[in-house]
Amino acid sequence: MPPPKPLLPYRDLLLELVRRELKVRYRRSTLGFLWTMLQPLLMMLVLSIVFSAIFRFDVENYAVYALSGILFWNFFSQSITSSMNSLRGNAPLLTKLPVPRVLFPLATVISGVINLLFALIPLFALFAATGHPPRWSLLFLPVSILIAALFTLGAGLFLSPLAVFFTDTVELVGVVLMLLMYLTPIFYPMSILPERFYWIVRFNPARSILEVFRDPIYFGKIPPLTHLSVALGVALVAFLVGLTTFRRAADKIPFYV
Amino acid sequence: MKTEAPQVAVEGVSLRYRLAKQRASSFKEYAIHWIKGSLIHVDLWALSDVSFEIARGERVAVIGRNGAGKSTLFKVLSRVLKPTQGRVAITGSVAPILELGTGFDPELTGWENIYLNALLLGHSRREVHERVDSIVDFSGLHDLIHSPIRNYSSGMVARLGFSIATAWQPDLLLLDEVLGVGDVSFLRKCKERLEQLREGGSTVLFVTHDPAAVEATSDRCLWLDHGRLVADGPTGHVLSRYLESSEHDARSL
Repeated sequence: MPPPKPLLPYRDLLLELVRRELKVRYRRSTLGFLWTMLQPLLMMLVLSIVFSAIFRFDVENYAVYALSGILFWNFFSQSITSSMNSLRGNAPLLTKLPVPRVLFPLATVISGVINLLFALIPLFALFAATGHPPRWSLLFLPVSILIAALFTLGAGLFLSPLAVFFTDTVELVGVVLMLLMYLTPIFYPMSILPERFYWIVRFNPARSILEVFRDPIYFGKIPPLTHLSVALGVALVAFLVGLTTFRRAADKIPFYV
Repeated sequence: MKTEAPQVAVEGVSLRYRLAKQRASSFKEYAIHWIKGSLIHVDLWALSDVSFEIARGERVAVIGRNGAGKSTLFKVLSRVLKPTQGRVAITGSVAPILELGTGFDPELTGWENIYLNALLLGHSRREVHERVDSIVDFSGLHDLIHSPIRNYSSGMVARLGFSIATAWQPDLLLLDEVLGVGDVSFLRKCKERLEQLREGGSTVLFVTHDPAAVEATSDRCLWLDHGRLVADGPTGHVLSRYLESSEHDARSL
């Protein structure tokens, strides 16, 4: 494995890549960044109607429960999808300039975090609207977001070279993400799961990350040490596996993009 | 006596492009070919066992026909491609200008592209702030600098690229086919700047198809043919042999 390329001289380039990513995303739709906030709200609304009116499971303040799940999932799945496109999309640069390739998936995850921060605004509005008082535990949220970002970056680093070598990775991962979404308690509570499915969801790594994200928002508590240690462990393992895979593949990337 | 480490040391470098005979660029196709046992590669050696050293301050031209491996050599030297075999050691900083308009965004203005391009070369925003005026001055594009680069002619883009890459004194400057596109007055400015950089201690390595430019700007010449280094020596000598062989080939066609 090659020694890591020094990233420090490229920190301003990283910021520039993040800025460009955000600019492209917000230029594409006329509603601009308002859409980042509206989309999860609308999805939450639909879920609220479907699940509390039709399936009727008993979750107190379902809107906040669902929205916190959606925000996490959107961040995770969108960041992964754009990391997979980041190397191919920058092929002209990768094949001609000695830019550290890791910058591209890294920039997509950072811009994903920024989007997530914007998307938190309607969550706070929802707190006010539903009379759910904001708690001090929200101050813990930045730590939860960092854990989620580490986990997502790991997945992005693992998948982005794969998407260069095999063009159908994006489609395949799309299907896996869909399956994973249903195996993560985003819009249902763990309590409705039948015994025989419970363990699958229980051992889904994305669930432990979501838990630490939801604890301070919905349950109004700082995640207990059990949750926190599992999530941190999962995120670190994902990151290290992703980074190792990426560094092994990095030298081959310019030959295939 | 202390001997100085060479600026560039290339030892037995080979580079293989592995081209799949059956295009298997998706999991599905890969699986099908793997089952049928029909995954066949065609190996193309773009560089075979190339070795040379370049001392600090030398100006070296790389010549050879299309597909001889010149651009691949530059990609190896700029650390974009890792050689399949062999070793490359370069001391100090490298500034590559590899292709016309690489790292330029056509929708951005010339000014914005100066920032983008310099950041891609590993400079910080502050370093660009300090040099941006002198870059514009040298490029001579004052009138157009705030309009999008898609309105520029290819010569103008090349001027801007050259101005950015040479705004900092690199230890090694790599120029791939850049000198051929500017007009005569800009070419003269380029030569002056290269001379300045050389006096400042930069080593310059360039590819061009223009024999006059090779003659005027290099002291030493590397001749690549089918990925092999066939000659390495004083420019006049290597260049005349190269031109002779090209003429010979042209006549026998």
